[in-house]
Amino acid sequence: MQKLVQEIKSIFANHDDFFIQEEHFKQTAIFLIGFNTMIDFTHSNLYIRQMAKMSASVNELFTNLSDQLDVDLEQIIKAILDGKLVLLSECNRNALLVPISRKLSRSIDEPKNESIIQGPLNAFGEDIDINLGMIRKWLGTERLCHCSHQIGQLTKRRISMLYIKGKAPIALIEKVDRLLKQIESDIVTIDDLNKHFGQHKFNPISYLFSTEIPIQAIDSLKKNRVVLFLDNYPCALVFPHLFLDMLTTVNDRNFPIGLSLLIRALRGLGALATLILPALYVALTSVNPDVLKIDLALFISKSREGIPLTPIVETLTMVVLVDLIIEAILRLPKSVGPTITMVGGIILGQAMVDAKLVSNLLVIVVTAMLIANSSVVGVQNSLYIRALKYPILILASVYGILGLFTGLTFVCIYLASLTSCDIAYMTFRIEGKGDTI
Amino acid sequence: MTQRLQIGLVFITMSMGFGFLQYPNLIFKITKTGHFVVVLSYGLLQMFLMIIYKKGLNYFPKQDIIDIYLKMGRWVAFIFLIPYVLNLTALVAMSLRQHAENIGSIFLSRTPDWSILILLLFISTFTAIKGLGTILRSSFFIFFIVNFLVLFVVISSIVNVDFKNALPAYPSSLDFLTKKDFFYLMGFSSILFLGFVPPETKLKFGQLFAEWTYVIFFYLAVVYLPLFIFGQETVVTFHFPAKDAVDSVDINWFIFNQQTIFFGMSMVGLTILLNAVLLWIIGQIIRKLFNWQRNKPSYWICAFSLIAFIFAVSVPNLAWIEKLSLWSAGVHAYFIVIIPFTIFIYGVIANRGMTGYENK
Repeated sequence: MQKLVQEIKSIFANHDDFFIQEEHFKQTAIFLIGFNTMIDFTHSNLYIRQMAKMSASVNELFTNLSDQLDVDLEQIIKAILDGKLVLLSECNRNALLVPISRKLSRSIDEPKNESIIQGPLNAFGEDIDINLGMIRKWLGTERLCHCSHQIGQLTKRRISMLYIKGKAPIALIEKVDRLLKQIESDIVTIDDLNKHFGQHKFNPISYLFSTEIPIQAIDSLKKNRVVLFLDNYPCALVFPHLFLDMLTTVNDRNFPIGLSLLIRALRGLGALATLILPALYVALTSVNPDVLKIDLALFISKSREGIPLTPIVETLTMVVLVDLIIEAILRLPKSVGPTITMVGGIILGQAMVDAKLVSNLLVIVVTAMLIANSSVVGVQNSLYIRALKYPILILASVYGILGLFTGLTFVCIYLASLTSCDIAYMTFRIEGKGDTI
Repeated sequence: MTQRLQIGLVFITMSMGFGFLQYPNLIFKITKTGHFVVVLSYGLLQMFLMIIYKKGLNYFPKQDIIDIYLKMGRWVAFIFLIPYVLNLTALVAMSLRQHAENIGSIFLSRTPDWSILILLLFISTFTAIKGLGTILRSSFFIFFIVNFLVLFVVISSIVNVDFKNALPAYPSSLDFLTKKDFFYLMGFSSILFLGFVPPETKLKFGQLFAEWTYVIFFYLAVVYLPLFIFGQETVVTFHFPAKDAVDSVDINWFIFNQQTIFFGMSMVGLTILLNAVLLWIIGQIIRKLFNWQRNKPSYWICAFSLIAFIFAVSVPNLAWIEKLSLWSAGVHAYFIVIIPFTIFIYGVIANRGMTGYENK
């Protein structure tokens, strides 16, 4: 027995939080083994002592404590790593028991990145079992299927796949299952997962739509899609990601149909405005001022009077600056964020106009674009829309209105060309029978 | 179902793309009175060809026209389809050059044509390489944007309309049917595209009628708009009557100087989609005709769009382009007649042989 204990000890020699505690029970030595960063040892030990009082022999104690008895060394090591408490006795018996563990995950919280108006406020957390439990609780049907995988090279990470039987196309389920089984490397980020799903390196649009809100995930399940959960990741990953995810959320339907359609139309308009507003400014000031009515053209040229920068440089400066500010605000602590935003926005904008670096009109255009951009659903969606405005801007600076329109057409065509697992990004809904174009 | 709808939208958009610039001009050359009779007789004739073509295709339920020609024999396929590929390349080149010239004159009067040509051709080639799925899905958006623009242009032009300009309403004779220009007119049609789409989603007759009716209404609008505004005597002298008609409109409250930019934008959408489809058809034909190992359609599409580009750039001036585009439309008209009939006749023969065999 001592040999086994020594072996385990040597394996975990470099772990300072590893413990082996020797206890005596009816003249038999018992070793308690585990990590004290994961196990609440005092309470666990107390529990074992109480159980020991009620048991007649060591064998009975072990059976009372656990149903995983007499396993091999490999399983013991895995159990220790998983945060279980291992009991070894002198008489060559062992047991793995689930101890009173330290609280390492947060409880159910409100969503942080998605704001909800009139809807349930629960959000997914890091613990995969709690997330799955939430879905099970809200979608109590036997048709909800759950299929779990352990993937990774260095650490095994749990990935769970959920779908509703008879709704999600069978071809899709099989394909996702096969792709998950094929993964051999570690999955750390969503991008790793995306690459395994076949995403091109320079494609800005993720194959997985992540949402924090359980009812959004449930709605996706009901709309014939597959939902993935990754261990220690506080979002549900909806596969495949569709264009309409940018414009619709399930919470819209808490409003009357007319209002929800209005909200969705506004989001579409927001995305469109982000793409074309800066480009339109450049096109109308530098290439095609002649298409405007004469008094409007004069007004625009008057607002640009005395500005040394060319329209494209001026616009690029402002647009890049605004993108920088957004990126900086995300990293700032919540307490200083609003102050810096206000000071930065107002003082910077005013100072730039006063210094005649940019025109008044451009400040209006860029602010409108920025606010419009935030109307779309999902942080990743608003990010890629923001990225796609740059090519249109460049095209508009060369070809004017023509460049703007071709750029917009090109974005449409590009989005239409994207597919994930043979399901097009521009599809409006996924047919249950696998008819997907 | 949705795919059928998308194919219908591509069909309409292609027909609009073919006829938007050239079509009114040809009609005004053909007749002095009763223009609608010409449009309608053109529509009927096309409809007749469409029915023949559709009947022919229905004999081979699981094949597109390249498969059917290959079934007739490899050499037959080469004889019919290789000239067709060359004709399509010429069509791409000429229509792009013409559109680039027009779009340039609307938006960028000082920019050289080749730069606009590169822009348009690049997007068309990209779309063609991405395949039919992309074309169909993007057609949905392009159709709605373009039709919205066209509708706006047509409605806003009503301020200048004078209905007396279209009188007399009936034609004096029907001898326009024998004119050479009427034959050129036949070249503006996209019916051959219907034979290249995947067989399981072929359009139904009813849907085809509805779509063709839409196209005919569009053609009537683009013919009558300049006619109502300028009258027959003036309109004959224009190169592109529709553009000039739109150019004449001036709305006080509108922020833009002229409505021509909307006309130009709609032309951009139409020409991109039209040429993408034509290039895609070229890629399909070559891929199926040659059984080489590394025979990717994308290489062929790139090669042919490069040829089209060189061809389009090397044409010296507008008079030449008009002449050449009429010729290519003429050749296209020849194919529009000959391909449906060969498919239909072969279908009848093959079907008879099959039933004869089954009866034995």
